[in-house]
This record gives sequence, C-alpha cells and structure tokens, in this order.
Amino acid sequence: MNDDTLVLYYYDDGLSIQERRDVEAAIAGDESVRARYEELRLRLDLLDTGSDVAAPTHMVQRWHDSIDRAAQREHVPARSKSSPFNAMSFFWGAVVTAALALGIGIGVIMSGSPAMVELAPPIAYQDPETTSTVPAAFTRGMQVHFRDTQQNIAALAGDTTEDRTLLVMRIIQQNRLFERAAEQNNSAGLARVLRAFEPILLRLAADDIAPEDAAALRRQLAFELNVMLTKLERDTSKETHKT
Amino acid sequence: MVAVLKGQGAPTQAEFHEVISRSSGRWFSACLKITRNRDLAEDAVQDALLSAWDKRQQFDRSAKLDTWIHRIAINAALQLLRKGRPGVFEPLEIEVESSTPTPDSIRADEELGQSLSLAMLHLSEIERVCFVLKHLEQWRLKEIAAETDTNIGTVKQAIFRAVRKLRVRMVSLQSEIL
Repeated sequence: MNDDTLVLYYYDDGLSIQERRDVEAAIAGDESVRARYEELRLRLDLLDTGSDVAAPTHMVQRWHDSIDRAAQREHVPARSKSSPFNAMSFFWGAVVTAALALGIGIGVIMSGSPAMVELAPPIAYQDPETTSTVPAAFTRGMQVHFRDTQQNIAALAGDTTEDRTLLVMRIIQQNRLFERAAEQNNSAGLARVLRAFEPILLRLAADDIAPEDAAALRRQLAFELNVMLTKLERDTSKETHKT
Repeated sequence: MVAVLKGQGAPTQAEFHEVISRSSGRWFSACLKITRNRDLAEDAVQDALLSAWDKRQQFDRSAKLDTWIHRIAINAALQLLRKGRPGVFEPLEIEVESSTPTPDSIRADEELGQSLSLAMLHLSEIERVCFVLKHLEQWRLKEIAAETDTNIGTVKQAIFRAVRKLRVRMVSLQSEIL
C-alpha cells in the first residue's frame, strides 16, 4: 500500500469501490499502514485554506459598476441596421495593422537580446524605471495604435450599428495583435490594459446598446487611451532625457 | 415586491450586488491562489462577473449564486493562466521545483500569508493548480482534468508530487518555527 493510494483514499476520489475496501482493510489490519495514513491525514488537515485576502476596494467598486453598466445596456431596444460595410476602410485598416505589427516585429528582432525572452520579472507599465528595457519601436507602435484607436472610437459616434460593429471588431482584432506583442515584449502591464479594453469594446459593438451608453463607453475608452498615451509619452521623454 | 421577485428566475442586479459585497473577497483569494498574480486574479473576477451576468438565465436556483460565480471565476483564472503561459498544464516527466519566484508571486504569497503558501512556493505550476483545485476547492479529479485540458493520470501525478513536496516543506517549516 503506497502513499499515493492513501492520498486518493484521503480525498475520496480516484479509487474504485474495491480499491477503497482494500485500503480500509489495510488500515484496519496493518499497524504500519495505519500509522502512515494517520500521519498523512494530519499533515493534509494542517494544510488548511487560511483566511481570504481582501479584494482591493477600488476593484470591488469596479465589479459593482460593471454589473450596473451591463444591466443598463439591456434596457434599450435594438436599433435598425441599414448602412453597408465600408470595404475600403476595412482594407486600409488591415494594411495599417499589418504594417504596425511588422514594425513591432522588426523592432523586437533588431533590439532583442536573448535576455528579453528569459523569465525576467514582467515590466509593469506603472514602473517608469523598467521601461528602458522595452524596445523603442514597440513603444512607438503602441502609441500609434492608441492614437489610431482614439480616432476610430471618436468616429464611431456617427456610424450606424452595422458599421460600428464592424469597426469595433476590427479594433478588437488590432488590439489582440498588440496585446500579444506586449506579452512578447514582457510588458505585462500594457498587455493587461489592452486586455481590459476588450470587454468594453465588445459592449460597444452590441446591437442593442443605447446611444447614451455607447457615448459613455466611448468617453471611458477615450479617457483610458489618453491616460496610456500620456504615460507612454512621458516614459519616452524620460528615456530621451536619460540618453 | 423586490423581495417577492428575488428568488425566482434569473438572479437580479440587486442579488449580484449583494453577492459581490459578500463573496468577492473569497473569489479573489481563490483566483490569487491559482494565479499567484494580483492583476490576473482581479481580471478573472471581472471576467467571471460579466460572464455570469450574461448567462444568468442559465443559473439554477437550487444552487447558490456565490458558489456559481466562484466556479466561473476559477475557470476564468485557469483560462488567463493558460493564455499567459501556453503549455502550462502539460504533464512533466521529471520532478521539478517551481520557477524562480517573481515579484508578483512573492507579493501574492505574502498576502496569502499562510505557511501553506510558503510551502507552495516550491510547487511547479501544474502541481500548484491541481493541488489547489483538489485540496482547497474540492474539485473531482475528472473536473480538474477537464478544466486543465489534461487527463486524470496527469492530475493524479501532479497531486501526488505536490503532496510529497508539501509534506517535506511543512515538516521543515514546523521545525523552523519550533
């Protein structure tokens, strides 16, 4: 009777009825097995769940807000769909995205030392001291992406539902590209910000979103993008002063 | 009227608020134990809440809302972990210690503040996740295998290794304290 079997017996999982009976018989009839099981049980019992960590207050507030926003959006009927999809706009958007992604890729290759792909501590975007390890091409590409997204979000105001959905889906695709690029550049903070944009964008793409809710989401995105642009520009400027 | 409506059909907005106030700390802690990363744990809870809201018509009133969201949050945490590190749940052929602790993981462990957390520093990713899901969340082996895209054999091996390492670490931690 090995310890692994005793572990499964402890968790009451992964053993057949017959195997459980065998363990019970061994515990009852064999002093050494009983002692080993008791020791194991005591150790595992000691590994308790501990107390819960308090969630940050601002996060709890954000979770409450997200439910309110989701509920508000459901109160408005769907709008009509009329306008056709602008194929040229999509084409140029795709071209720009591909070019930016290529630029970032080249930037990463040109400036990438082997250390970049090592398990270095992730670069938090809040920490300006660590941004120097991020390739300049990547930062520039990210700035272009944020500005581009800002313009696209602003342009959404006048679009029909169908146009808006397509444009937002395109923004999401671009956003995912940049999120992956951020992860590859060890910019966990940036990747997280980009990931956080997606639920907002998905809501903005919903057919039944009320105009006032769409406007509020656009404002929120514009604000977040502005913060990120300011942050990146400040870091770039600090970096320039250092060199 | 609200009291009458509460308890029938899909959970209401008010019920979501109530359960966030009451249980979000527990969801957050569970996600933190899985990810060892505050940002990912916060994102997992956020994703879980929006997902639960969207799927609230599917909620079975015989279950508890906080337990339902807890489960969705853990799934979200696993997804984020997998997304950030593809292959994280692949079976290991050899015994390994955890990778070098990162500032995030150290901070998460300090916050969890338990001897268990200290001992868990020495587990590999798959060992930690399988152990947390089995020991702390009491999932069935079959469920863990399904959610981590592995098989029961892999999950068992991960748990056995985790228990072996934790027993050794707990003994040495206790002797340090004494």
